[in-house]
Amino acid sequence: MNERPDHTLYRELLNLELDGCLNVEQRSRLAAHLAACPECVAEREQLRALTGLLERSALPVEPDFKQRVMASLPAAGWESRHPRTWSFPVAALAVLLAAGAGLLGAGSARPGGAASAYGVLAALGGLLRAALVAGVGVTAASWRWSEMFVEQLLASPMSLTMFGVFVVCLNLVLVSLIRRGAGRHGSGEAAAAGPGTGHRSGARRGSHRGGRSTRGGRGR
Amino acid sequence: MTRGAVQPSDEELVAAVLEGDREGFGALVERYQGRLVNYLFRLLRNAEDAHDLAQEVLVKVYQVLDRYDPQYKFSTWLFRIAQNAAIDQIRRRRLKLVSLRIEGEDGEGRDWELPAPERGPYGDLRNRERAAAIQRAIDGLPWEYRELILLRHYGELPYEEIARLKQMPLGTVKNKLFRGRQMLKEKLQGFLTD
Repeated sequence: MNERPDHTLYRELLNLELDGCLNVEQRSRLAAHLAACPECVAEREQLRALTGLLERSALPVEPDFKQRVMASLPAAGWESRHPRTWSFPVAALAVLLAAGAGLLGAGSARPGGAASAYGVLAALGGLLRAALVAGVGVTAASWRWSEMFVEQLLASPMSLTMFGVFVVCLNLVLVSLIRRGAGRHGSGEAAAAGPGTGHRSGARRGSHRGGRSTRGGRGR
Repeated sequence: MTRGAVQPSDEELVAAVLEGDREGFGALVERYQGRLVNYLFRLLRNAEDAHDLAQEVLVKVYQVLDRYDPQYKFSTWLFRIAQNAAIDQIRRRRLKLVSLRIEGEDGEGRDWELPAPERGPYGDLRNRERAAAIQRAIDGLPWEYRELILLRHYGELPYEEIARLKQMPLGTVKNKLFRGRQMLKEKLQGFLTD
């Protein structure tokens, strides 16, 4: 009955206890042994002291370490493959297209006809072509660049306003060019059809000065 | 008693980063920076090098994040990359410093000095002595014990993760940690009663 305790076994259990890896049976076995073994109790204290010593010797991390890491992250290959990174350029393209179509609609809101429908379609085609060319260019440059550009844009209301004015002007110029082309096409048709269509071609010329002029021309 | 908000797991954070949430990676950096820097510090014995290498490791992890297999623990993967990077750096240093190798009293060569005190967190003499003794005790461990002690105490990895990282049976990990701690205890006997 006088079984000598195997201290090596209990010391292993003390290590497991330190790491929180004892099961219920081991825990109760160790507790029973510690109640009668001052040697192992001292061993437990030393192990705890060792762990504390190692913990206290930890090096403090430099305060700006996280910022340094985040600032040095490069564009990873997987970023450009992920759908979310496409969502912003796609959304921007959709907004530009919608804005262009809206401007065109406002500029040519008068009694329809084959020529005005042609103008709208041609304008949309031109816008789409321009957006595609711009999109390919931006993609080739870098998604990261476009992100930075948008960040700069949103940084102040003034830069955002200036960009808005730029986009509107660009659209107006584009619309004006397309309508001039459509006007030439319409004049040819009018000349072929006879004097009855002269008023429509006059209205189209008025629209060369922009949407407001178009409405004025229609009023006359 | 109120509990704080449940923190997302490492694997959830990785998934969020791969979905485009860059800040999720910031959370991972915050979670692991202390363990990673300290683990590397004990291997490289220089605070500045440890910070630089920890940064390199985290950048590398970000670059190949899409290759992370979520069936394994993120910490296992991170520390495997960190350990490989540290071993590479140690090898490079050995090559560079071979001509500067100094002889210890016991005749064994030592490759590096202890971390410069001004870089460390220790102000007074006793603290410096203790810091130097800890570093010496760790350096004095055979590599097979040292790496497990560092992964457990500074990397704070559980036994199972260490076993997976080192591709060792769980019993071997427990045994080596036990022996490593016994050796450390003997070497640091004078500081355990502070």
